[in-house]
Amino acid sequence: MENVAHGGAQAVHHHEVELSIWPLIVGIGAFLVPISFMVHFSWEAPSTFALLGAGVAVVLLLVGLFGWVNEVHAKKEEVGLSKVAIVVFIISEVALFGGLFGGYFYTMLLSPSWPPVSTPEGVPPIELALLLTFFLVTSSAWMHMAETKLEHGDMGGFKTWLSVTFLFGLAFLVGMAYEWNHLIGDGFNISVNTYGTFFYTITGFHGSHVIVGLALQAFLMILALGGKISKKKQTLTKVTGLYWHFVDIVWLLVLSMIYVIPYFKVGQ
Amino acid sequence: MAEQPTGLRSWIFTTDHKKIGVMYLVTALVFFVVGLLLAAVMRTENLDMARKTIIIGPYLYNVFFTIHGAAMVLFWMIPVLLGFFANYMIPLMIGAHDVAFPRLNALSYWFYVGSGLIAVCGLILPGRLDIGWTGYAPYSLVGGANTAFYVFAVHLLGASSISGAVNFITTIITLRAPGMTWGRLNLTVWGLLGAFIIQLVGVPVLAAAVTLLLFDKYLGTSFYNAFKGGNPLLYEHLFWFYGHPAVYVVALPVFGIVSDIIATFARKKIFGYTSMVIAIMLITVVGFETWVHHLFVAGTLNWSRVVFMWATIFIGVPTGIKIFNWLATLHKGSIELTAPMLYALGFISLFTIGGVTGVANGLVGFDISVHDTHWIVAHFHYVLAISMSMLIMGGIYYWFPKFTGKMYNEKLAKFAFWLTLIGAMVAFFPQFIIGYDGIPRRYWKLPVEYTPHMRIAAIFSYIAIIGFFLTLYNFLHSAMKGKPASSNPWNSKSLEWQIPSPPPFYNFEKIPVITEGPYEYGKPEGEAPKGH
Repeated sequence: MENVAHGGAQAVHHHEVELSIWPLIVGIGAFLVPISFMVHFSWEAPSTFALLGAGVAVVLLLVGLFGWVNEVHAKKEEVGLSKVAIVVFIISEVALFGGLFGGYFYTMLLSPSWPPVSTPEGVPPIELALLLTFFLVTSSAWMHMAETKLEHGDMGGFKTWLSVTFLFGLAFLVGMAYEWNHLIGDGFNISVNTYGTFFYTITGFHGSHVIVGLALQAFLMILALGGKISKKKQTLTKVTGLYWHFVDIVWLLVLSMIYVIPYFKVGQ
Repeated sequence: MAEQPTGLRSWIFTTDHKKIGVMYLVTALVFFVVGLLLAAVMRTENLDMARKTIIIGPYLYNVFFTIHGAAMVLFWMIPVLLGFFANYMIPLMIGAHDVAFPRLNALSYWFYVGSGLIAVCGLILPGRLDIGWTGYAPYSLVGGANTAFYVFAVHLLGASSISGAVNFITTIITLRAPGMTWGRLNLTVWGLLGAFIIQLVGVPVLAAAVTLLLFDKYLGTSFYNAFKGGNPLLYEHLFWFYGHPAVYVVALPVFGIVSDIIATFARKKIFGYTSMVIAIMLITVVGFETWVHHLFVAGTLNWSRVVFMWATIFIGVPTGIKIFNWLATLHKGSIELTAPMLYALGFISLFTIGGVTGVANGLVGFDISVHDTHWIVAHFHYVLAISMSMLIMGGIYYWFPKFTGKMYNEKLAKFAFWLTLIGAMVAFFPQFIIGYDGIPRRYWKLPVEYTPHMRIAAIFSYIAIIGFFLTLYNFLHSAMKGKPASSNPWNSKSLEWQIPSPPPFYNFEKIPVITEGPYEYGKPEGEAPKGH
């Protein structure tokens, strides 16, 4: 970093805001999610209340996040601290998947065979997984293309490549939904054995990250169409790009651990 | 500079790090009071082992120690340190106007409040949490407790911790004033940085562990279900992967605060600054390699017990370095025994007793005899609960003139300190004896011959609690009616004392240029302090 030269941090921070309504709105939205869950599962109230609560929560979260980003984006200049923050955040994501994969290994090593014998034939569906890999890995490359176009100020190219990235990501999700649907139909569900448990949990956790990545891309597109993204305002695009590459790398781990290892049926 | 808003709006919509810090402090103190009251009721229940129910029965006893543990660790100590002290002090100490993401900072606070509300639900609504603050499977899955309360409280608190960690790590990396090198940071900032790194890496694993608990309970998965090939030990591993480093999340900032207080009141440069920083970072890293000592009697493999025994004992080395550095700083210092200094010295004595028993616990052979007995309760109350809570009081006293602009009542502060110290020292000692006899903890009643032990424990715990309440009264009363304090009543060289008390909205009129570290005492008087 440039600042090291004179031995401190350089980022000039304009203390531009003192009051903001959005953190509280998002906070209430996030609080209502577990409350709605408990209304239904723990307090056994009619599910209409739970759905109502969840609906209000989703509206609050969306409105809150939109207002928040809008407020941040209305500033004339960007400081770009988010580029540091996203790297820090990705470390915590690595720890999250590390915990899940740690649990997976622990269970796998203690199991007499992997996957357990109660797993139906044709699981894991490795061919489909390879197709999904193709979609996600290439979409990472398209995201990089979009970033390069933005750096050169080519807004048309940026929007095109961003759309391609989004469509490839979407294709991954559709493929995953098809796979889940198919497997559950074949009797391989989340509670069939420990392999099913980890299969759906880890692919589900990864899939939820894909959804967040797609939401970020869609939001970028809305901002770009509104003319709010430019060569001078690249931070959100860079953040989305880094996150998307991370989601891609995690998939390679999912592929090798959840699909390839069980494919060879150790100990059966 | 915008006009400062006032009234309720200025608090609930605030993004100012100082106001958010104060809100953290007030909320955390509420949970501290809840935790103290629950402790008092449990101690009263222990007064007579022959009588059946005194106030609460065995079921509520389980609920009370669950919420007592959760309130004290998750809602008091961690938030007061990483919420109040980090928020208030980091921007002032590194010379910044605010944190990197002020709105995210506000959101972290609201996540914390939401989590606290859910935890309170777990205390009062049906399906009360009686699963211990650890929430071990399989009991948390098959018992009558509403484990969802526990899981969601951890989730929201985890969201708060992770967003806070991202925010403050980014702040420390990017917003240091010109000339504020890594070697000129206050040790409080270093300690908080270490704690935030642990939060960043540890909390997601805890979040994963409890999410799987939720899946097992409501989706019929088999992570921890031994009937379907799962393993309840997996939960213990994932839980303690964060649960043990969580101790250092509390300890590292406390170490930093002790260093700042001691340097100020011994009027000496801190001894071995570099070794202090290395020790903090070593604890941050090695802290993640010790968790299996919580599973020494759970059926873990022998080789892993030996490895984790060594790692556990190794942690004693950097910790010992810090204790000796503090003593070396005190040596030939010009010591001023103010209330914060008393708390720092009290901390060192309590923490040393707790730390030495911790090294003993780390030995597999010894641990097998005392595991899950009252010995453990005594150990972690000395090393963590009481010593750290007391030092937090000392830290609040130390910066009280800064964040309120008022002076606290010194006499009352010292009186309350002695009450708490003596109360705490004696209250937990009988439990070393009971535990050494092999009596397991978490039981509502002990064998009758331990009635005298537990009576001493109860009476002295009341004394400690009264001491804490006097301290809280001192805070409250002084914040409202205290005498105005000058901007730097302790003549500290640290940056946060070079601006008015309470600090103005923007902290620094102009970002200062730093020319020396925070502990440069012993130079001729009259030399200009850093910053201008």
